[in-house]
Amino acid sequence: MFNTKVSRITAIINKGSLSAVVQALTANGVRHMQVGAGRASALEEPRGLRAILNAGNPSMANDPVDIVTFLVKQSREDQMIALIADAARLSLPGMGSVYSEEVNLINSHDSCGINDVPSLSVKKPENLSSELIGIGCIVQRGQGDAIARVVLETGATVPTITYGYGTGVRDKLGLLRITIPAEKEVLNLVVSRYDAEVVMELMIAAGKLNQPGRGFIYTHPVRQGIINNQITRGASGHAASMEQIISALDSVKGGIEWRRRAGGSASLNARQFLGGMVNLSLICNEGQAAGLVKAAMQVGAPGATISKMKSVVRESEGKHVSPAREIAVLIISQNQKNDVVEAIRTSGGFQDASQGEIVACEVPRAFTYLTPKA
Amino acid sequence: MAANKSGGKIKVSFGQALDLLGPYVRERFMGQVKSVWLIILYLIVFQTLVLGIPIAEASIIAVGLSLVIVGLTFFMEGLLLGLMPLGEVIGVKLPQKSPVIIILIFAFMVGMGATYAEPAIGVLKQAGSAVTPWDAPLLFLLLNKHAAVLVLGVGVGVGIAVLFGVLRFLYNWSLKPFIYILISGLTGVTIWGFFDPNMLHLTGLAWDCGAVTTGPVTVPLVLALGIGISRVVDSGDSDSAGFGVVTLASLFPIITVLALGVYFLGSVPAPAPAAQFLSAEHRPQSMVLFDSEEHMQAYALQNSYFNLKHQTAQPVEAVFDGDRQRLNQFLTRLKDEPALAETLLGSPDGLARWAARHGDDAQRLLVFGSPDAVATGVMRYGGTEQQSTALLALLSNNFSLALQAILPLTLFLILVLVLIIRERLPRPDEILLGIMFAIIGMGVFNIGIELGLTKLGNQVGGKLPASFTAIPLPERTRTITNFDEKVIKTAISEQGEQVDFFYLKDDNNYQEIPFDRSNFDPATSHYRYTPAIGPLFGGQMGLSGILVVLLFAFVMGYGATLAEPALNALGLTVEEITVGTFKKSLLMQAVAIGVGVGIMLGVAKIIWNIPLVYLLAPPYLLLLVITWASTEEFVNIGWDSAGVTTGPITVPLVLAMGLGIGGQIGVVEGFGILSMASVCPILSVLLVGMRVTRKRKDALASASGETHAKVAA
Repeated sequence: MFNTKVSRITAIINKGSLSAVVQALTANGVRHMQVGAGRASALEEPRGLRAILNAGNPSMANDPVDIVTFLVKQSREDQMIALIADAARLSLPGMGSVYSEEVNLINSHDSCGINDVPSLSVKKPENLSSELIGIGCIVQRGQGDAIARVVLETGATVPTITYGYGTGVRDKLGLLRITIPAEKEVLNLVVSRYDAEVVMELMIAAGKLNQPGRGFIYTHPVRQGIINNQITRGASGHAASMEQIISALDSVKGGIEWRRRAGGSASLNARQFLGGMVNLSLICNEGQAAGLVKAAMQVGAPGATISKMKSVVRESEGKHVSPAREIAVLIISQNQKNDVVEAIRTSGGFQDASQGEIVACEVPRAFTYLTPKA
Repeated sequence: MAANKSGGKIKVSFGQALDLLGPYVRERFMGQVKSVWLIILYLIVFQTLVLGIPIAEASIIAVGLSLVIVGLTFFMEGLLLGLMPLGEVIGVKLPQKSPVIIILIFAFMVGMGATYAEPAIGVLKQAGSAVTPWDAPLLFLLLNKHAAVLVLGVGVGVGIAVLFGVLRFLYNWSLKPFIYILISGLTGVTIWGFFDPNMLHLTGLAWDCGAVTTGPVTVPLVLALGIGISRVVDSGDSDSAGFGVVTLASLFPIITVLALGVYFLGSVPAPAPAAQFLSAEHRPQSMVLFDSEEHMQAYALQNSYFNLKHQTAQPVEAVFDGDRQRLNQFLTRLKDEPALAETLLGSPDGLARWAARHGDDAQRLLVFGSPDAVATGVMRYGGTEQQSTALLALLSNNFSLALQAILPLTLFLILVLVLIIRERLPRPDEILLGIMFAIIGMGVFNIGIELGLTKLGNQVGGKLPASFTAIPLPERTRTITNFDEKVIKTAISEQGEQVDFFYLKDDNNYQEIPFDRSNFDPATSHYRYTPAIGPLFGGQMGLSGILVVLLFAFVMGYGATLAEPALNALGLTVEEITVGTFKKSLLMQAVAIGVGVGIMLGVAKIIWNIPLVYLLAPPYLLLLVITWASTEEFVNIGWDSAGVTTGPITVPLVLAMGLGIGGQIGVVEGFGILSMASVCPILSVLLVGMRVTRKRKDALASASGETHAKVAA
């Protein structure tokens, strides 16, 4: 057990920039990172016949993106963000986003863990913001676009959607489990802290998350980042796009606090949020997560969402890490954390077969349907 | 949440289980209904409303069609639960635990095994059922005497294809060079074949081999395997993501079949008229095509009257050197040795059927024994063939085919996983259930195809030419007993040509029927008459009638493609791999439109007898350019969709239509439509891909445009 505070950097970039980013990171000492596939949505102003059929409602356009994550010491966080922003040209709207979170590296196999990168002086990107909050949302496959649309319509940020598989009650049903679809969509977005409450509320409404079996939504702290604000696509009839105007106002006002929406928060507080939870992310070799999550469920974890991803390992010293990896995200209450980690450890989560790594981060607020207490 | 604290199983009551199963079954069943309703409704509406012919055996067809849906429901679920996860887990584990050479041997065996598991040769034989040894000797040789060599050739082709496909993933090679080399080579050979009459016919077979080898079991397995392998290959950015093997598996068999053709080319005679082909001086060369002289004689016997319109010579007389005595001796021998007759003629009552339909009085007497037996024999065997649908035979045939297609291959994969990779089967209950579903599904589906879709397809396909030409309706054939020659009248045409006809009283209608002496049997005083319909639109071979047929072909190709299980599996996989940025529906629509256009062109080929090379070479050359201009991602997906389009739903329908039209206008073989149905979807998917890529580029370009504005400000 290490229990070290580190920075987890997540970069969500256009498919075309992946090799440039990977190259920049490996050249600067990042030896292992995870790459997953996702899609970023944008609203597209319909033209021609589509405009008439849709009565002018913008349609959704989806672009493939790659999501790169890795761990570094907190002291190296700024330089890595700047490096990525430069390599992926994040100063341009629509090229992607990058952010860092404070996480607790609980345990890891020797072959993964923190990247020990040398210090480097780089220019701080101008559109970097530190007043951000991350929102994660897990829903049934096929529901993601409806929720992504309301996020886009608020103009707050561009959500990223990835695919995953849920485990939980389903796996206790024996073969009958095949009747319950395991396919999930995971929405991931980083918004200004002033937008977070409204956006979350809209997402709950759009996804009907207050009804049983619809999904789960939670927030996680973000230290700093650059968010993708290219909400719409297509020709606009103005001299400057809305994104440019917002970006200009940000620099005039010296921050994003001006974007805070007035009033309306009183009614929002009526919702019963879950607090004091923790997000455990377990990264391990493909095929191992199901067994490890099962062990975690034995000690009380309600379930997990498992997604496939690829490890990119450069100049691997010693033990080889298989590129086929998966990540299991478990959201549990703080007091279960030690039991769950212990259960994963005793099932071989950090040994050679799994080559696992667990990081924990805070979940200040979470929401899902709860069975009313009798 | 507290209730679930224990990690054990939750006890589910029977009622709760039904509550869970209900929506699950309904959702999957309705999914299949959605995918097949178009093609079924279309066929029914077209036959009853456009052609105006009621559907024969409607109740059996209805049962068959519902079995198709049930079968597809099970089969798709079996693919998703069992076969694809199995393929993927092997793809992930094998490269981690085995040296490259083992992986390559494994890949070759999977390709080879898949060919034997899903024998496409049956489809090809059907497509070539009208091929005669004198018109296309080389094609006939490969489809009949050397059918086993042909299957082996295709198997080796697919094996090599999977091997190269895996090598591509391991070393991150682009698919494009493969396409450039293979397509330009194949197009070259096809053009060369255009000038050799034997190779001309074979090229059609070769291209179709490529199209049909990849069946509904092979495609998902190979796809899953590829995805698994490319997941463990350490490369920062691989755009192919597991696709491309299907493409190679469609192209390599064309090479091996063409190579086989070149190998046998020297030994076969050149095409010749039937009489010359079977004549005594030509016989030593012709014998190359048959196992024995008896086979040749039996073949000539069976195909003597195959197509009266186009066969001026009588092959059967040529093969016996015009000696009736020897023909009759041969008939006596067949009668005395039923076993020999069965092997030579293909069925126990083949001889009786031949005598009843084509024999003269003396020959009938010889075969049936007595005049009374002749009368009953003619009644029994003279009509059109009634296929008996014995339930038990139907079940055992189709389920043994399904078992053969799925079981050996999956067992091989499981053994490789357990013995060579030494990994446990993940979620064994689910995978085994999936394999069982796949077998049940395929069995039920095959029965449904046989009872429902093929029958319906044959009816519509057979009648389709009625829109531009007059066609007989054999299933409405009636026999007039006590036919008296006195009722025959004579009419005269403007040219002074005399035609015999008679009036038939049918309920209260009086109809003129042309009299054909070959339908009159003086021995029994029976006259068999076959009503005819058409041309329904415009005149004989009129453009409007042909346009109706072409339009029909397009919609049929479109509808059938949407129902194809392998394409559905590919669509799901593409959507999964691209995290929803390439939607299944977009891929399916693009492919279906491509197939529709392809089948339309294929039908045009048959109607106007256009050489295949004119239709295949230009699109493939165009494809080379478009492939060069497309991104790797779309090249892989686009070319793969070509391989999966021709599956168990499209093929019988296309063949029925192709043979129906071909039979009416007398074309040697129905090959080529399937290969057209392969090339056009590649074009359509790549074009969609280019559009999507351009849109993405535009979006990025407008982003950088904005910075310029910023800098200027």
